[in-house]
Amino acid sequence: MAELKEIAKELLTSGTVAYIIGYASEKNDKTVPFIARTVEDAEKLVFTHHSVNNLSVYLKRIKKPESGKVGLVVKGCDLKAVVALIQESQSKREDIYIISPKCNTVVSDNTKPWNKDNIASKCLSCEVRTPSLFDATFGEIETVELPSDEQIELIKKVEAMSTSEKWEFWKNEFEKCVKCYACRQACPLCYCDQCIVDKASPRWIDSSATVQGNFAWNMIRAFHLSGRCIGCEECNRVCPVDIPLSLLNRKMSMFAVSEYDYKAGTSIEEPTLVGTYKLTDNEDFIK
Amino acid sequence: MKDYIITAENIQLLVNDVLKQGWDVVSESKTGVNFNAIKDASELAIKSDSKPSKLSMKDFFFPKTEPLFFYRQSHDGVELVDASPIEKKTLFLGAKPCDAAAIPVLSKVFNWDYKDEFYNKRVENSVVVSLKCNYSDDYCFCTSIGLSQKAEQGSDAMLTEQQDGSYFLHIVTEKGDEFFKMYSQYLKDTQAENNKPVESKYPEPAVKFDQGKVKGWLDANFEHDFWNNLGDVCLGCGQCTFVCPTCHCFDIVDENCNYHEGGRMKNWDSCQLCLFTKHASGHNPRDGQTKRYRQRIQHKFKYYEDKFNEVLCTGCGRCTRGCGVGIDIGGIMERIDKF
Amino acid sequence: MENIYKPDLAEVKEIIDETADTRTLRLQFKDPEVHKAFSFKAGQFGEYSVFGEGECTFCIASPPTRMEYIECTFKLVGKVTNALRKLNVGDTIGLRGPYGNSFPLEQMKGKNIVFISGGIGLAPVRCITWNVLDLRNEFKDITIVYGARRVEDLVYKNELEQWKAMKDVKTYITVDPGGETPDWKGEVGFVPSIVEKVAPSGENSIAIICGPPIMIKFTMPVLQKLGFKEENIITTLENRMKCGLGKCGRCNVGNVYVCKDGPVFNYTQMKALPDEY
Ligand SMILES: Cc1cc2nc3c(=O)[nH]c(=O)nc-3n(C[C@H](O)[C@H](O)[C@H](O)COP(=O)(O)OP(=O)(O)OC[C@H]3O[C@@H](n4cnc5c(N)ncnc54)[C@H](O)[C@@H]3O)c2cc1C
Ligand code: SF4
Ligand code: SF4
Ligand code: SF4
Ligand code: SF4
Ligand code: SF4
Ligand code: FES
Repeated sequence: MAELKEIAKELLTSGTVAYIIGYASEKNDKTVPFIARTVEDAEKLVFTHHSVNNLSVYLKRIKKPESGKVGLVVKGCDLKAVVALIQESQSKREDIYIISPKCNTVVSDNTKPWNKDNIASKCLSCEVRTPSLFDATFGEIETVELPSDEQIELIKKVEAMSTSEKWEFWKNEFEKCVKCYACRQACPLCYCDQCIVDKASPRWIDSSATVQGNFAWNMIRAFHLSGRCIGCEECNRVCPVDIPLSLLNRKMSMFAVSEYDYKAGTSIEEPTLVGTYKLTDNEDFIK
Repeated sequence: MKDYIITAENIQLLVNDVLKQGWDVVSESKTGVNFNAIKDASELAIKSDSKPSKLSMKDFFFPKTEPLFFYRQSHDGVELVDASPIEKKTLFLGAKPCDAAAIPVLSKVFNWDYKDEFYNKRVENSVVVSLKCNYSDDYCFCTSIGLSQKAEQGSDAMLTEQQDGSYFLHIVTEKGDEFFKMYSQYLKDTQAENNKPVESKYPEPAVKFDQGKVKGWLDANFEHDFWNNLGDVCLGCGQCTFVCPTCHCFDIVDENCNYHEGGRMKNWDSCQLCLFTKHASGHNPRDGQTKRYRQRIQHKFKYYEDKFNEVLCTGCGRCTRGCGVGIDIGGIMERIDKF
Repeated sequence: MENIYKPDLAEVKEIIDETADTRTLRLQFKDPEVHKAFSFKAGQFGEYSVFGEGECTFCIASPPTRMEYIECTFKLVGKVTNALRKLNVGDTIGLRGPYGNSFPLEQMKGKNIVFISGGIGLAPVRCITWNVLDLRNEFKDITIVYGARRVEDLVYKNELEQWKAMKDVKTYITVDPGGETPDWKGEVGFVPSIVEKVAPSGENSIAIICGPPIMIKFTMPVLQKLGFKEENIITTLENRMKCGLGKCGRCNVGNVYVCKDGPVFNYTQMKALPDEY
């Protein structure tokens, strides 16, 4: 943590960055997004097991500062969103100063202490605890004992369901949706100026939170993120009614790997999945 | 009005009886996500020391989506058809005091001058039996709003969990009295008992701010740097307003329709969403998250009080527990109190 | 069960194209009893709907002194206005209202009245103008200043001619510089400068002003220089609305619900509101 504060202070003093988007402590162990603009602010920056938020979501909302870069504290997993944003020409590498910690996993429930049974599901299969793209890094990797990955078990369970069982499963989940669009707002890759659900004429998707409207919204959201979702699970985390959106996202990502050998947010040089066509591409799914 | 004792078993029997009479029984779902109409008493989840469910129960008075009327249209003309009448009687069982207290608060806006009978009918048809709360966490602040773990506002009756597993049933309104008279076979006299309420694991939340003082600051500080920092991190997702028992903004749209038939819907909406106030011209009076967040605080702790003499908040803490970026409404009030 | 959200049905009796994108609908309630019972005051608005498309808010543009038709004048901007534009004579729409407060007609009596408007802002002003003209004897001097960007953007062209022909009304129609046609005989110049030129006295006078924010902004100092008291300068606000009933929470500016406490405000009241309109 001392390392982070030092890095931050030096960046702010030298004017390399206009400000740093990072984490600050809140009640108990919880951390919350915090924008450090001054050296005093930099003292407040922390990075802990509770630094759950994917802060790259703010890249889509803030204007480029007049001078200096945007400093961003970003874990290896969330960094994929930065990569994807660069791939999709939404951000420029040279505008962002990436401060990426070596990460020892984050909590699932931010109000409870970190321990073996309170680790975010995305951490269980994480391959990027040591980041590969950064301007500054800090921290040390420690060995972490991980619980089993229940999410992948659930995906297998849903895969094995009959069509009508799947329908029932998702109907029960989507029924709860209140159309708050928190899933969209928290997603770093949902950056459209005008989201399809906000288009009134013609109206493609009912704004009513009926089963029909909810299915339409949730499927469109998932489809628009297919081959793009980097698996930060922010959508899932902020959903007020606990709809397991990650199941859909992860299934799609697995599909992108198995069918197209593509992992979203891996390299800023690589073209995007939906932006490329190869003759060898599998087209079976189009019927 | 008389108070009673009711055992946990008798609550189950009573609920099944009420269901048999054709009533709906609504209680918190076992997942802790929302409130549900249950089909059998076995689905009941009455827990006095649980966290407030993620969604409040306002959905049952002011549904997230509700048809206002239907139309049938042809070249010969239009016919408007009323939405099905709201007749179902509903028993709400085990609501937290901070949930029940929202009902009279919302009644104010739904009844000044014009009366929203959709809301009124549902309230009229309901009997709200709340449960004395034995929970609290860092985000609860009912006591700062003038409520408490046993506040009776909005309740027709209130249960208090006793040490022997039975419940003390305190009748609050005539409506509650009449309701329980119909089910007197499940009730016992209080004198017969020599029992005490369970000790609450969680203390009543401390008073965190002086609402009058906060109101005074809000009156004078529509413009203040304070708002900027909040707006910077807020995602504008609307989660806070959708889960809130007192937020009541809505949209009116025609949906699920074609030229020939369809309906006009009243759907939850939120001042936190960027299109909420946007004019057709493109002009948007609240054109940034800072302004939108300020609206939420000002509406809850100033405008509503100016207008209706009520704080538009029961201190349940839902908005904060659910906020993806940890914006803490009680904490904000505390900070304002200290200015 | 009483349903405050359910409109009455009204029939389109006549369609008048004002400009390329602005149209007036003359409406009558389908049920003659409803039509007879309908009463409103100048400045109030209604919620107009096309079934299957939705509702939107327009002021009632015809005066309460002429109840044969209810009129609205709207500009094509989005979903519902698009649908309204597709209607033909004989088609049915929904209409609920009247909502909101109104111009202070009683207070205006015995005074000089200055009507100032720009573009489609004439719609509400037209309503109160005819209302005043229909009761002409009860008011003193009447001055009308109306402007649009170009000649083809002027609305209610016939009525502008009628006002010009009235001997006891001073009418000035203007277009922005560059917006005139070769045969244009009216004024050329922005509304604020025309008001300055006409210079109606602020003594015992009430000004009603409605139009684009920029026009209002630059006319205000002119009126103040002419001696108009702030409480005698009256305008209407156009916050986005849905219910019109003080329920849906969309239209508030500070603790004021524009749909119920407004849309008509005087300048003293406006100055007390936070800048969110
Ligand atoms: C008191 C009052 C009086 C008025 N009087 C008049 C009058 O006399 N004449 C007149 O012409 N106008 C008047 N207006 C303005 C009028 O109400 C709007 O222009 C009208 O409601 C637009 O409706 P619409 O459905 O066509 O536009 P919408 O389709 O609702 O919106 C048009 C544009 O707004 C944006 N937009 C806003 N909300 C959304 C959304 N949810 N989803 C997607 N896009 C959105 C989009 O850019 C869209 O293209 C008045 C308004 C008020 C409040
Ligand atoms: S869809 Fe969800 S998991 Fe994927 S990038 Fe967006 S917020 Fe993260
Ligand atoms: S966050 Fe959850 S409730 Fe909100 S729109 Fe997304 S899926 Fe629906
Ligand atoms: S305060 Fe939190 S929940 Fe509310 S809109 Fe902002 S980010 Fe969303
Ligand atoms: S504003 Fe927050 S704390 Fe207050 S009633 Fe709403 S959800 Fe509860
Ligand atoms: S806080 Fe916002 S959403 Fe909630 S009632 Fe007020 S204006 Fe409506
Ligand atoms: S328009 Fe709904 S409250 Fe004013």
